[in-house]
Amino acid sequence: MLIIVLLKGVPARTTQAVQIGGVLNREAMDLVLNPHDAKAVEAADYLKRRVGGKAVALSMGPDGKLIPLMKPLFDSEVLGIDEEYVLSDRKMAGSDTLATSYAVALGVKKVVERHVRPIEEVEEAIKKGGYSEIVKARAAELYRANLLPNSVYSELPAVKGSIVQTFMDGKIATQTALKELEAEKQKVSRFVIVAGIKTTDGETGSVGPQVAEGVSELTGSVMPHATYVEDFEVDAEGSSITAQRMIGYLSQKLEMSLPALITVSTEYRPRTAPASAQIAARANGYRGKVFQAFKWTADDLGADPKRLGLLGSPTIVGTGIDVGKPPVQKTVGTSLVFLKPSSQLEYEGRKYGPFAQGDLVNSLPEGLVAKFREDGTVGVFDYGMLAGELVA
Amino acid sequence: MSGEYSGVWVYLQQSKGDLLPASLELLAAGRGVADKLGQQNVGVLLGNNLEPLARKAIEHGADAVLLVDSPALETYFNLAYVDAIYALVKERKPYVFLFTSNEVGKDVAGRVAYRVPTGLATDNVQLAVEDYNNPALGQFKDLLIQVRPDFGTRLARIYTPKHRPQMATVRAGSFSPLPADPKRKGKVEKIRFEAPAYPAKVTEVAELPPQVPDLAGADVVISLGLGILKDGSGLPRDPREAYGHAQELKKLLEERYHMKAEIGATRALIYAEIKELEGVIGKSNQVGQTGSTVKPKVYIAVGISGALQHRVGMRNSSKIVAINLDPKAPIFKIAHYPIVGDLYEELPKLTKALGGAGSAS
Repeated sequence: MLIIVLLKGVPARTTQAVQIGGVLNREAMDLVLNPHDAKAVEAADYLKRRVGGKAVALSMGPDGKLIPLMKPLFDSEVLGIDEEYVLSDRKMAGSDTLATSYAVALGVKKVVERHVRPIEEVEEAIKKGGYSEIVKARAAELYRANLLPNSVYSELPAVKGSIVQTFMDGKIATQTALKELEAEKQKVSRFVIVAGIKTTDGETGSVGPQVAEGVSELTGSVMPHATYVEDFEVDAEGSSITAQRMIGYLSQKLEMSLPALITVSTEYRPRTAPASAQIAARANGYRGKVFQAFKWTADDLGADPKRLGLLGSPTIVGTGIDVGKPPVQKTVGTSLVFLKPSSQLEYEGRKYGPFAQGDLVNSLPEGLVAKFREDGTVGVFDYGMLAGELVA
Repeated sequence: MSGEYSGVWVYLQQSKGDLLPASLELLAAGRGVADKLGQQNVGVLLGNNLEPLARKAIEHGADAVLLVDSPALETYFNLAYVDAIYALVKERKPYVFLFTSNEVGKDVAGRVAYRVPTGLATDNVQLAVEDYNNPALGQFKDLLIQVRPDFGTRLARIYTPKHRPQMATVRAGSFSPLPADPKRKGKVEKIRFEAPAYPAKVTEVAELPPQVPDLAGADVVISLGLGILKDGSGLPRDPREAYGHAQELKKLLEERYHMKAEIGATRALIYAEIKELEGVIGKSNQVGQTGSTVKPKVYIAVGISGALQHRVGMRNSSKIVAINLDPKAPIFKIAHYPIVGDLYEELPKLTKALGGAGSAS
């Protein structure tokens, strides 16, 4: 199973956000991995232990900043990500969620094609050369490039009977081998995209569903998605995922045929994969980890430049707004307020009032204030008055 | 391009046979925008046998309701809902389309926006209609101004100048519902929807117990921030003490004044995962951008400095009391009753003034 984890680099500190016309300049900031993405990696780990396969990271942004961020994710032989792909191009800078999702969907498509194509190559070699060593040589080459699952070709002693090996040994006919390879291709095409529920910079939560829509558009199919997934199970064949998600007061179970996309809630706790899943998981696994990041530009993706970056973004971030005038404040112990109502009165030829109980004494002549204080009309705002106003 | 697009659409959600309170708020938001534009405020309601709810939407400010009534829409299922809504958008071309910022609203809006394609501004706390001039793009009349917390420290205007509809999700709690007016008239138009075969299906729906605490429904919210970890002398203090003070105040308000009070907290306090507060303060207490938006009669901010992300979740409260040691804390910019001082002394004083014991520690 191909597991594609969407990762994002977000500014390390809000105070340090460098903006150009409302767009974050990620190149000029310290980036950290979006905290919500940790759950996506956990979910990918579970999928890999349950069904086997390869977890690849897909990210978009300045590659020089992103690649170091992903390094700690290659953390052990089994867990973590196995490969990383970075979509990095000036043309993608300033993308809103629509333009981002378009680029990411193109990236997903290309990652999947990159893994389907090698199986096709083995098919073609078999069709052309029959039992020749060329088939094995080509398969070995692709396997070492981490592009063929153990079930197709393997150099692991523990994996017996890969398709290419049994074919070379003459144990299966050409037609059978081709049929089995076709099935492997289908398996790779039943991929899963895993993402965090949102990022801490944009906080939109829109990119998950929009990537599912984007992949649907690019592949002419309907890719289901589930957001805020708290728990999920995948069937042993890796053909469907049943996700449990919260919708307000409801918890919903959604059964989705693969390929599908999930965004993983912070409430998610990975299940334990049954020991019986190990052998199948190993067969579906790949050779190992590739630490060298793959960087893809807009041209590599075959992207329509009009749909990328600022040009491809319908939304524009404008000026900030005034959060509103500061309220009239009453401070316990210092503010002077009317302790009782006072009708309109004249003082030194000017009219003042009327005043209600609790009104702040604002810009009244000093003499008048002194008079009010003396006769007990005005006094210092205290806790008793505050209490009265709060429960009024 | 925008000439042929007209109408402010409001996506309505229902649960247990009633419109969500957030949908009534959204109708009010749509009403305001529609009036400024001189256009219709149109509710969009999907489900099965929902005609009474369509009437209710009209009483609460809709001029018309598009009711997609189909057994296939009985339960919320994102792919079918997206298809049904997209078909309507494509056929009728609304100028503005508003959704609630919740799991369902965002689920649907994201895919619909991509398919149209148009922009989507999420989590708006204000909406306005203004002209917009952009030297590079041109002049635009009567654009929807979508106001959302920007990354960092401000509320930003988001524009969707060239694409229609202008799509936005609105945070619950940002608008007040209009009172029901049974005399309001409006057309309910029923629309058919045939669901195609989907590569997914809903297999189970279970009801969850209502959220505890009910922050959005409280008259008084007493919220705690990281400031409760220290007292006025700067020494560490057991935060359970502050929590105890807040509980005492809550109890007093409920018993003596019959005001529904709840305890809130900032994201910073919750994410600090303080051992002493385990089990008493959790994510359901969170007020702010990523938690609940509240607008109670009284909001008491205890030991909260007031980052923008917190303020957008409570700034519409009628009366804001803030207790903080730092006179420069941003919370004081919006507080009606600023109290600069040690919360371990000031909070009990307030409780005492309200008639409680206010046992200062």
